Amino acid sequence: MRPRITAAIAVLFAVLALATPALSLTVNEVAREVRCPTCNTPLDVSNSPAADRMKIFIADRIAKGDDKQEIIDALVVEFGRGVLATPPKSGFDLLAWIVPIVLVVGGLAAIPFVTRAWARRRQDTAPAPEIAPDDAARLDEELRRRDA
Amino acid sequence: MPPSADPEEVGGDRRRLIGLIAGAVVAALIVVLLVVGLLNRGTSTTIDDALETGSRPPAPALTLPVLVSGPGLPPVGRDASLSDLKGKVVVLNLWASWCEPCKEESPVLEKLWRANRSRGVVVLGVDIQDLSSDARAFIREYGLTYPSLRDGTDEAKSALEATGVPETYIIDRAGRVALHVAGPVSSPAQLQAPLDQVLAGK
Repeated sequence: MRPRITAAIAVLFAVLALATPALSLTVNEVAREVRCPTCNTPLDVSNSPAADRMKIFIADRIAKGDDKQEIIDALVVEFGRGVLATPPKSGFDLLAWIVPIVLVVGGLAAIPFVTRAWARRRQDTAPAPEIAPDDAARLDEELRRRDA
Repeated sequence: MPPSADPEEVGGDRRRLIGLIAGAVVAALIVVLLVVGLLNRGTSTTIDDALETGSRPPAPALTLPVLVSGPGLPPVGRDASLSDLKGKVVVLNLWASWCEPCKEESPVLEKLWRANRSRGVVVLGVDIQDLSSDARAFIREYGLTYPSLRDGTDEAKSALEATGVPETYIIDRAGRVALHVAGPVSSPAQLQAPLDQVLAGK
């Protein structure tokens, strides 16, 4: 019984693998990693003549069998590091990745302190309730009775 | 105990002050970034402004790789500087292979170059925002013999305060900008008269 189940699972996996073959590299997969030099938008959503030429360049390199990084590197050789859609995660450019994370984490960490400070300030500034003369007299009376 | 001496109160005040200062610093930084971003966004017009008042602003110092070499320039692939051409009158043209008006303009510049190269004039193309293979194919297709440099990083475009392609500049023997034409040059005659003036030292 058990070998039969194992075989069935193996067949299922094989069928699934055939049904969803791994797609080869597409122009858009590379294009979204770089920007169009004339329009300053990601290349995959750019339609300028320069962008069209760059997409043809990417398609040619894919046809030659280059991988994504090789094509991006070739575009950096052509246009400099400014062609990258996102800053590299090294050197000074690393700041562009770290600063937003630090700000968000710092902001979240500050929330309990800030809310506590606000709550305390509200307590401090709340006016003491006034006691009517009748109530004050009754309070005095009750306190005296309790002490006695 | 007087209220001013309450340590908790003093601590709270200090915390509030530090919070205020930190907030002000962050706000100031954001404002500075916004201002810098806005200032860098628009193209400055100091070259055109100077030309309008009749003066000749100095041409920017540019160092770019050679795409097609020519007189006074290093071989293909090496870096050339605009200062290498000091003493010559330079007709500097920003172009790109994908630029439609450049296709009409390049034969005009070729004619201008052939007619004036013996007079100490260099027509110098600067290919921008372009793939170098496309640029070389364009030069071959249109039979261009004047030299060209390649600017992959918009260095020349921003230094020359250009807004697009094609744009053309006449740079005199002293390395100063004498004329700026935004848009295509439609006939050699359009540049011949100012070129003659600059050659005559006027």
